[in-house]
Amino acid sequence: MAHVSIRRCWKAVALAGAVSLGLCACGGGGSSDSGNDLTIGASLPLTGDFSEPGSAAKQGYEVWQAMTNDNGGLLGKQVKLEIKDDASNQNTIVSDYNALISQDNVDLLLGTFSSLLNLPASAVAEKNRMLYVEPAGGSPDMFNRGYKYLFFAQQATADKQGLVFADWVKNLPPDQRPKTAAYPTLDDPFASPNVDGIREVLESAGIKTVYKTTYAIDTKNFDSIVAAMKSANPDLVVHGATFEDGVGVTRAMLKSGWTPKMFYETSTPSFADQYVKAIGEDNTEGVMYAVSYSPEADTPGNKEFVAQYEKMFGSAIPPEDAADAYAAAQVMQAAVEAVGSIDDQLALADWLRGHEVDTILGPLSWDDTGAPEGEFLIGQWLNGTAEIVLPPEVATAKAEVGWHPGS
Amino acid sequence: MTELVQTLVLGLLVGGIYALAASGLTLIFGVMRVINIAHGAFLILGAFIAYTVWNQLGLDPLVGVLITTPIVFGLGWLIYRLLVRPIRHAPMSSTVLLTFGLALVTEGVMGLVWGNNSTAIRPSYVDQSFHPGDIFLPKAQVYGGLLAVVVLLALWLILTKTWLGRAIRAAAANPASAELVGIKVTSVSAVVFGLGVAAAGAGGAITGVLYPFVPGSHYVWIARLLAIVVLGGLGSLEGAVLSALVFGVAETVTAVYFSPAWATAVPYAIVFAVLLIRPQGLMGTRLRDDAVAA
Repeated sequence: MAHVSIRRCWKAVALAGAVSLGLCACGGGGSSDSGNDLTIGASLPLTGDFSEPGSAAKQGYEVWQAMTNDNGGLLGKQVKLEIKDDASNQNTIVSDYNALISQDNVDLLLGTFSSLLNLPASAVAEKNRMLYVEPAGGSPDMFNRGYKYLFFAQQATADKQGLVFADWVKNLPPDQRPKTAAYPTLDDPFASPNVDGIREVLESAGIKTVYKTTYAIDTKNFDSIVAAMKSANPDLVVHGATFEDGVGVTRAMLKSGWTPKMFYETSTPSFADQYVKAIGEDNTEGVMYAVSYSPEADTPGNKEFVAQYEKMFGSAIPPEDAADAYAAAQVMQAAVEAVGSIDDQLALADWLRGHEVDTILGPLSWDDTGAPEGEFLIGQWLNGTAEIVLPPEVATAKAEVGWHPGS
Repeated sequence: MTELVQTLVLGLLVGGIYALAASGLTLIFGVMRVINIAHGAFLILGAFIAYTVWNQLGLDPLVGVLITTPIVFGLGWLIYRLLVRPIRHAPMSSTVLLTFGLALVTEGVMGLVWGNNSTAIRPSYVDQSFHPGDIFLPKAQVYGGLLAVVVLLALWLILTKTWLGRAIRAAAANPASAELVGIKVTSVSAVVFGLGVAAAGAGGAITGVLYPFVPGSHYVWIARLLAIVVLGGLGSLEGAVLSALVFGVAETVTAVYFSPAWATAVPYAIVFAVLLIRPQGLMGTRLRDDAVAA
C-alpha cells in the first residue's frame, strides 16, 4: 500500500496542511439591523480549544441582555447581541472584530475569552476607538501597550491573582509551611505570570524552588512532567493551567502514586461540576485556586444574576466565566449610562478610569492602563464544595493546609 | 537508569495509542489516496460515543469499543458511499476539501449533541498504576496500549491473511487490474474507509479515557496524526506504527531530559530530519516518477 508518488503525496500533504490551518481560521458571518436596538458585538471561542469558557461567557452575556432588556434596555433601547465564533483562533478573532465594526456596524463591543485572544482583539478595538471591556485576559502584557479603550473586568491582573495565596503560605506556622515548591505551567500569557507572581513571593520567603518548567499548549502527555516532579519531591505544587492540562497533571500525579502536600492550580478547579467529574470528587479535597466570583457572594445584583441564570440555563451555580462576562457587560453598561451617549467612546473610557463600578464580582476600579486595582479571592475545595477561603473578610470557610486526594 | 526506563516505557505506551489513531489515516490513504482531514474529528466522535456507552450503560469504555467500533465503522462506510465515492476520481484536492468540510460538520454536530463543555471518562482504574520495581505504569495507558495492540493486530491480520485483505492490497497496488480480476474496488474502498474510521473510533475510546476532550480537540490530533503518517511513509501501516512509537518516545524523552516546552516540537524536527534523508518516509516506497522529478 505504500506505492505512492512522493511528488503527488507532497502536493496533497501541503494542501492538507493548509486546510488543517484553515480549520482553525473559520469565522462566522452575519449582519445586524440597528433600528431602535443597540447592537453589542463580541466574538467568543464557542468551538476549538477554549470552547468551554467561551460558551460560558456567551451565557453570561445572554443573561445580562435578558435582564437589561427586562429593565427597559440601555439608553432606552433594547439590547441586541451579535456574537461570532472565533474557533479559539487568533487570526479569526481579528477578522471577526473587524467584521463586527465595519460590516455589522455594532454600537458597542464586549471582549472575548483568554489573554491569547484578547491581545489581538483589543488591538482592533483600540484602532477603531471603541471601548473594549474584557471578561478575561489578565496577562500583564495586555496593559503595557498604552491602550486607552481597554479595561479588564476582574479584580486583578494575572501576576497578582495568586498573591493572596502566596502571602497566606508565607505566613503559615513553620511546621505547616512548605519548604520546597514546584512550578509547572502552560505557556500561556495568563497562566505563566500567575505562577511567576506566586514563585517570586515564595522564593523571597525562603521556599526553595526545586522544579520549574513551561510546556506547550498542545501537550497531551503529562506523565513525564509528573515523573520529574516526583523525583524533585516538592512540598507544594503551583500549577499554571487552563482546564484540560490541569486535569492532565492532576491525573498524572494520582497515577504516579505521588502527590504533594499542598496543591494550588490556576483556573481548572474553578470549573465546578466539570472539574469534579474530570478528577473525581474525592480527589478535590484541599485543592486551592484563585477565583474571581462566588455564587454566594453578597454583591449587588448577584442574587438576581444567579436566579436569572438558573431560569435560562437550569443551574443554580453559574460558572465563573459566565459571571465574569456578566460583570464585563455591567462595567460597559455603567459607563454608557453615566455618560449618556455612545458617540464618543473615549469619554466612556475616561469615565471608567475615574470611577469605581459595582459588579457581581464586587467593586472594580482601574488604573490608567485599564488594569484592575483590586484583590482576588482564593477558593479551596473542602468536603466536595468550592469554598472561598481568602481573604478572611469574605471567606465562606477557613483555609486548610494540605491536599488530601482520595479522602 | 530507573528514570530512563520509566521515560521509555511511558513513551512507548503513548506511542502505541498514537499508532492506533494514525493507522486508519494511513490505511485510507494507502488504498484511496484520500487524506482524511476529518480523521481527528472521527477520533473525538469515538471518544464521545465511548463516553455515552460508559455513562449510560455503565460499560467500561475500553470494553465499549465492541459497541463503539461497529457504529463508527457504519458511519465511515455510509460517508464513503454518500460523499467520497462521487468524487472518487476527482483531483486529490477535492477529497481534502470534502473531508475538511466533514471535520467542521462533525465538530458542529458533536457540539450540538454533547455540548462544548469538557468531557472526561473516568473508569475505576483511571488514577491507578502498576508499580513494578521503582517505576509506575498507569493502568489506563497499559490497558489502552494493549487494546491498541489487539486492534492493530486484527487490522494486520485482515490485511495479510484474509481474502478481503488481498483485495484491499490489490486495489491499493493497481485498481484497474484489481477490477479485471473481479475485485469490486468501490466496495473494497467503502470497507477500507469504514475500517479507517473505525480505527479512529477505537483510538478515540482510548484517548477519551486518557485525556478530557471537547468537540474542538480534533485540531490538535489531526496535526499530530498527519505528521506521524508522513514520517512513517504515506500509506504504510507498518511505517505509521513505527513512526507513532518514535513520536511517543521522542515527546517523552524531550520532556524529561530537555524541556516540556520542546516536547511537542522535537518530534516534528525529527520528521523534517528524516524526510530530508528519506523523502518517502521511514517505510514508504519511492517510485520511478519521483526519481524523474528529482
